[in-house]
Amino acid sequence: MKAITFEINGRRYEREVPEYKTLLHYLREDLGFTGTKEGCGAGECGACTLIMNGKPVNSCLVLAVEADGAVIETIEGEAREGKLTIVQKSFDEHHAVQCGFCTGGMIMSVKDLLRRNSSPERAEVIEGIEGNFCRCTGYEQIIEAVLDAAGRGAAEEIRQRDAAASSKKGGRDV
Amino acid sequence: MLHEFAYHRPASLEEALGFLKEKGSAATVFAGGTDLFVNIRAGVAKPGTVVDLKGIPALRTLSWDDREGLSIGACVTVNELLQHPETSRYYPVLHAAGEELATYQLRNRATVVGNIVTASPCGDFGSPLLTLSGEVVLLSADGERRVPLRDFITGVKKTIIKPEEIVARVIVPVTWAGAAGGYEKLKRIKGHDLGVVSVAMIRHNGAIRCAVSSAAPTPVLLPDMPASSPVKEVQDKAQEMISPIDDVRCTREYRAFMVNVFIERLMKHLESARQEASA
Repeated sequence: MKAITFEINGRRYEREVPEYKTLLHYLREDLGFTGTKEGCGAGECGACTLIMNGKPVNSCLVLAVEADGAVIETIEGEAREGKLTIVQKSFDEHHAVQCGFCTGGMIMSVKDLLRRNSSPERAEVIEGIEGNFCRCTGYEQIIEAVLDAAGRGAAEEIRQRDAAASSKKGGRDV
Repeated sequence: MLHEFAYHRPASLEEALGFLKEKGSAATVFAGGTDLFVNIRAGVAKPGTVVDLKGIPALRTLSWDDREGLSIGACVTVNELLQHPETSRYYPVLHAAGEELATYQLRNRATVVGNIVTASPCGDFGSPLLTLSGEVVLLSADGERRVPLRDFITGVKKTIIKPEEIVARVIVPVTWAGAAGGYEKLKRIKGHDLGVVSVAMIRHNGAIRCAVSSAAPTPVLLPDMPASSPVKEVQDKAQEMISPIDDVRCTREYRAFMVNVFIERLMKHLESARQEASA
């Protein structure tokens, strides 16, 4: 076991974690963050995508101990007090969710894309979600949802929330 | 994970090399972990300790200078390389190959050096780095050795690396800096996928250098040929040197065929790029 400190969705955690456990399994099994899914377990499907230190990664291929000192964002940090983000609302309205298994990871990839590019072209959306498999929708509704969300100020919403989070340094201890 | 291992994160090169000297093959180093953790999960790798190199600042550097060339540290990720202006400016073949490697989120973790150390015949950096005369810098507690990439990879997932060594960096010499280049990769799907077969090619001072991946146990570098060579001559040379196999992804015949297609495509592409540049 190793003692580590990290932040998830603005909350600070201090925990002893098994050295051989992936970040994905630790989040799901030990902390109850089950919105991040395990699909292939080999870095191909993207269901386990979360944002670590500002970069989307496949959490099935990251050890929990590697998250020492990290700032982690998961799908659980998106909706606040029952209020969906613009991206989430757009996924809902465009029927971009069928079984929902890919959605958590997909939305984290979209969040990162919109941070890098506030008004992506269709081809850039496709590129931005290249690492997230969806086996239900055929992607069309997802692409439409992202384009529509971008048009409705999703990037600005993300930027404002980032600014609010950074002014509230440290986060609450859990 | 199916297998329980210990985790060690040295803060300096000395500490890492001392640890490896002591543990030998019971320890396995990693940076991105995108191959190692897949192998552990599959039960193929069973390290006693995994040694995370990301705590060592000296291995994080990605630098360019006009005498040494490009130096890619062990912990430099594929996305870091892709965002490095000098890499795209001086070594477009490397940039093109990096863009073909896996997905955006995987490239945030996967490292260039790791791709070489894994030494998979379908690794995306093997062939482009061969065309650029890449060199591998190995470190151990006993010292440093610098080896051409062509001597570093010896077979399918086999290299000359010793258990107590790490690859500290890959050096891309200035010899081919500025060479126009391209990378063509056959995949089963249009999105990201492991390469079924791929060809890297650069053109510089009237010569072309071409290397082929996934068509032999190691990436294969063809001898330098005049850029004015007939396409068929380059294709024949490649066919003489590769030894493709049948596997789950494709047949031997199709691999051989696509090598020829890619050589022709790249030669045409590099020729028209040259004409545009001189026009």
